Amino acid sequence: MSELSTLILPAAPSLGSLYATAAAGKLRGLLPGSKPAARTVPQVEHRLESLPINRQKLVDYQRLMGDTVRDELPSVFVHGIVFPLAMSVLVRDDFPLPLLGMVHLSNAVTHLAPIAPSAVLTAVAHAENLRGHRAGTQVDLLVEVSAGTELVWRSVSTYLARGVFLGERPSEEARPHQEFTHPTRTASWRLGAATGREYAAVLGDYNPIHLSAPSAKVLGMKSAIAHGMYLAGRALAGAAPHGTGYAWEISFATPVFLPSTVDIAITSALDKTEFSGWGSRSGKPHFSGTVTPLA
Amino acid sequence: MSQAAQSIRPAVVIGGNRIPFARSNGAYSHASNQDMLTAALDGLVARFGLQGQRIGAVSGGAVLKHSKDFNLMRESVLGTSLSADTPAYDVQMACATGMEAIGSLANKIKLGQLESGIGGGVDTTSDAPIAVSEGLRQVLLELSRARSTSAKLKALSKFRPRDLAPNAPGTGEPRTGMSMGDHQSITTKAWNITRVAQDELALASHKNLAAAYERNFFDDLITPFAGVTKDTNLRGDSTLEKLASLKPAFGKNLGAEATMTAGNSTPLTDGASVVLLGSEDFARQHELPMLANFVDFEAAAVDFVHGAEGLLMAPAYAVARILERNNLTLQDFDFYEIHEAFAGTVLSTLAAWEDADFCKNKLGLDAPLGAIDRTKLNVNGSSLAAGHPFAATGGRLVATLAKMLHEKGSGRGLISVCAAGGQGIVAILEAR
Repeated sequence: MSELSTLILPAAPSLGSLYATAAAGKLRGLLPGSKPAARTVPQVEHRLESLPINRQKLVDYQRLMGDTVRDELPSVFVHGIVFPLAMSVLVRDDFPLPLLGMVHLSNAVTHLAPIAPSAVLTAVAHAENLRGHRAGTQVDLLVEVSAGTELVWRSVSTYLARGVFLGERPSEEARPHQEFTHPTRTASWRLGAATGREYAAVLGDYNPIHLSAPSAKVLGMKSAIAHGMYLAGRALAGAAPHGTGYAWEISFATPVFLPSTVDIAITSALDKTEFSGWGSRSGKPHFSGTVTPLA
Repeated sequence: MSQAAQSIRPAVVIGGNRIPFARSNGAYSHASNQDMLTAALDGLVARFGLQGQRIGAVSGGAVLKHSKDFNLMRESVLGTSLSADTPAYDVQMACATGMEAIGSLANKIKLGQLESGIGGGVDTTSDAPIAVSEGLRQVLLELSRARSTSAKLKALSKFRPRDLAPNAPGTGEPRTGMSMGDHQSITTKAWNITRVAQDELALASHKNLAAAYERNFFDDLITPFAGVTKDTNLRGDSTLEKLASLKPAFGKNLGAEATMTAGNSTPLTDGASVVLLGSEDFARQHELPMLANFVDFEAAAVDFVHGAEGLLMAPAYAVARILERNNLTLQDFDFYEIHEAFAGTVLSTLAAWEDADFCKNKLGLDAPLGAIDRTKLNVNGSSLAAGHPFAATGGRLVATLAKMLHEKGSGRGLISVCAAGGQGIVAILEAR
């Protein structure tokens, strides 16, 4: 990654202004004569020193997820802190994909060591691996968080810009139809209509597709959907180990429209814990993932 | 070694008393936990002439508890004619509360720390505590911490109208959000327990309880309360046809395979029960009966959160351990009192003990524990008929079994109680 230049942000950008920028970008893209989209991701990393860690927000987060209040930053809480930094990469003028309407496909995080709330953290984010997908274009967003010189948290988020094709359209492979048979449920989550607003109030992600049915409809969703990271946070509250590092990943299959009841299976295998969620009524798979403690 | 610590002596079940159990929001709607527990204690005191006596300790609790009931047992004792210098303390272990209270008292008696003890429990789902919402609670707490007017206003500004919705307690597991019945429906299906088998067990419970009332078995085990003389859930005239006509109440996501109904699951119930325990010396000095020895008890817990085991299967594990410790087999009992949280719980537990795989891989045994003689199971009815006021069930079981053993004059009995949180307690009693 030596060819990346570094942009040091003076402070964490506000997500509100980032979404405004993104919306403006979307509008600009609709105007005649707008510049053709680039076919590469910007060769730059955004860096933020001294991540803001608010202890009250940490408690609010732990309560929201049904987790125990303790002096460790949950992995998804760290994701929430670095999310504005990650977004700042996606809304760059030279970023080839539109942020709004982008779909979160999956996340793989290595949480190398427990992180104390008092830790002074630095984060760096960049995009890479722009590639085709049968439904559009996907891209990876890498974020690394360090305490001093020690890397403590590393995340790869994969996003899909649906319907955006930067080069050759990948051939329409016939996807084998997979019948989803869910495992035996071990839990059931009743997610109220305010779930998205509650998550936004804690971690600041006020993306309109999560807030309310009307705001989601503006962006083409039939109703508000739960934040993917809310679902990950709930799953990790039940599955993540404490006092040790762990790796986890989650893939999202279909969105969770709010309100709804999601049935959950969290099962311990030999060296890892598997989790998945599906619609209690529809039976449709929503997400699945694993948590592996780092020995 | 001091004199007191030298030997372990028997702890004796002297007798028990309970008030009839009543279906939720019925006869006891206006009775509190303290009212019902006091009534059960009063009956016990009257039956065994304990007026003015100092009992070594009174121990018990309630599963659904108001915060004002922080000293429920002591406050109840102060309302009885027991001597006011009788110490009392609260215990809480979900539906195993009564068993834990009684078992621990028995241990103290065995060790010579106590001469006598009263253990039991009480619960009401009618007079249940209702809490303010989490949002309102946080606002009120912050308000009470606020010193300045501006801080108070700031706290108040966080109030939202939706915070007015109260929080009533449910029977859901906090970590899974699933009701106990929905949890059991998974176990019931995993053990292939049929609807008919569950309905038959429920019917037997009602028939057995009705027959026990018929032969006046409960005359010295129950004192009437609030005009009620008999468990109000009892349906002695129930039939398999009636039970078969009920719609599934739990595990509805199983569709046509759902088998658990309101008929083969215990209803929410109000009630209280207590048991008097003592040393042999105490019983003899006060010329009290000695029904049975409280031999041993064992708790177990399972990981239902990660799906490793069914929520209510812990007693299956506890029984394996208590049998080994006491050098007994599962067939060495004359009576089995297996708490009927759901018919499916009892039948799943029995199936597990017969299953070679389960006994080998889960219990670590060379051979299955085996089948029991079903004619010895819950012979005077159990929770499906009597109802199940959570913390009061242990006292009902111990008193009932002790009396049955004493009537028989020999033999031993096994008690098994499952509890929320994937827990359970089992116990062994021996006739005297």
